[in-house]
Amino acid sequence: MKKTLLALALTLFAGSAFAAHGKLNVITSTADLASITREIGGDRVEVTSVARGYQDPHFVEPKPSFLLLLRSADLLEVVGLDLEIGWLPPLIDQSRNAKIRPGAPGYLDLSRGVEILDRPAGAVNRSMGDVHPLGNPHYWLDPANAVRIAIQIQRKLAELRPSDAAFFATRLNDFKSRMNAADKRWRAALAPFRGAKIVTYHNSWPNFMRRYGLNVIGFVEPKPGVPPSPSHLFDLINKMKREKVKVIVMEPYFDHKTPRSVAQRTGAQLLVLYPSVGGAKSGTDDYFSLFDTNIATLVKALKN
Amino acid sequence: MDLLAFLAVPFVAGLILTGIHAYLGLHVVERGVIFVDLSLAQIAALGTTIAYLAGHDLHDQVTYFWSLGFTIAGAAIFAVTRSHRETRIPQEAIIGIVYAVSAAAAILAMSKAPEGTEHLKDMLVGNILTVSWRTVIATAILYAIVGAFHWIFRKKFLAISLGEEIPHLRWWDFLFYTSFGFVVTSSVAIAGVLLVFSYLIVPSVAAMLFARRVGTRLAFGWVMGALVSGLGVLLSFRFDLPTGATIVCTFGAALALLATVRPLMLRRAQ
Repeated sequence: MKKTLLALALTLFAGSAFAAHGKLNVITSTADLASITREIGGDRVEVTSVARGYQDPHFVEPKPSFLLLLRSADLLEVVGLDLEIGWLPPLIDQSRNAKIRPGAPGYLDLSRGVEILDRPAGAVNRSMGDVHPLGNPHYWLDPANAVRIAIQIQRKLAELRPSDAAFFATRLNDFKSRMNAADKRWRAALAPFRGAKIVTYHNSWPNFMRRYGLNVIGFVEPKPGVPPSPSHLFDLINKMKREKVKVIVMEPYFDHKTPRSVAQRTGAQLLVLYPSVGGAKSGTDDYFSLFDTNIATLVKALKN
Repeated sequence: MDLLAFLAVPFVAGLILTGIHAYLGLHVVERGVIFVDLSLAQIAALGTTIAYLAGHDLHDQVTYFWSLGFTIAGAAIFAVTRSHRETRIPQEAIIGIVYAVSAAAAILAMSKAPEGTEHLKDMLVGNILTVSWRTVIATAILYAIVGAFHWIFRKKFLAISLGEEIPHLRWWDFLFYTSFGFVVTSSVAIAGVLLVFSYLIVPSVAAMLFARRVGTRLAFGWVMGALVSGLGVLLSFRFDLPTGATIVCTFGAALALLATVRPLMLRRAQ
């Protein structure tokens, strides 16, 4: 046991020695934020994501290493809008790192500076039923929001490390131009299918679909985390047949049974798209390749 | 050192859980109502869900009283249905039915709730790694009160669990399940159902392998619970595994080891 503790102590010590060399230690809640942070921070930052791309970011099982990661963080970046509310707040509390508490300079909630969809106008109360009071948290799946995320990250990095501000600004400009070029390519690829009707499993693709002119007409899951009732599925299947929906989109971590049976009954194709960087073993290594992979999959399915 | 502080909270939480659960586990195993904790925890969760549906915040006092009210109702059900001699329905059957129906009722309630309920389950089930000192202390106080209550009336509670007939039996039974419900509801909120179940059942089962007397079994259970908590927390940090599940598996391994060692020890004793 003593050896174990010693090994852990050495790891911790090595961690703090690293920080002393001047690299900013950035922890992100999701792999997408980590990818964009790497684009901006380059070799001046050390970036680690808590959630892996293949995990549902709503549910992450806390592990001891997360506490150690957060403990030595200079900056914590979160998606916000309650996406991480089930697991991150107690980890922040227990990490005892005052720098990254909400409100502290080392806490960056990226939902503050992006375009949020499905946000109810005016006051929200429970009588309104199906409403997420803060808006849809899956906003990163839109290149325009990726740029907005990058801008916020660049500002924050420059604030925490003023000596490298010019470096971050150059990298942001480079990121923006590459992102614009890539977005044009993606739009062109999906242009022939503008207005195509699609059903998704979870309401996690509104930003993506709107960006590329695709029309989500329903969800397999009536409410997040609630299994569909027979009448919901019946209505969905009829609507899909009526409107000739050819594609159902789902994330890899949801149960395939229900969407597969809906696909079989309607003749639609069930597509697995990756919502996050690192969602698949290959082809989703960074934000750009994530979109390349997803859009290629969509184009192939819509062509049929 | 920082790391020790990280290790300390789950370990101390484990000790506190051991303290009360190893004791209550003796009763539960003796009565043969093994899954009563899961059932009561599920009723409490149903109460919380319904309070949430009625528009109360999860951490509201009102919500807590809802879940407490449901737990007490559950305790009443278990006290009333105790060993139905005439029909010979085992109590474990009632416990199972209550579990299944309240779990399903919670799903129905959630399907009527507004969006944003996907975290509800997560928030009801705690994680021993991220529990705070404040919660640990508050829980320790609550358990101390329940423990004192059980110490004062230990003869009554023990008599019922050993199957003796005493006056006002159903009333004492109701008090037993209510105090048990208090404990289980708080412990599930800090440690999750799997871990609470293990703290309750494994130490007392292991103790039964080696001891007959209640006092000896309790002491055995406490020592085992403390050792397994410490080892489990260390393993979890060493190999970076989810802490609760690591402790549960350590309990399983420890029980298997004790069961293997037992015949050898008994042979030597002869």
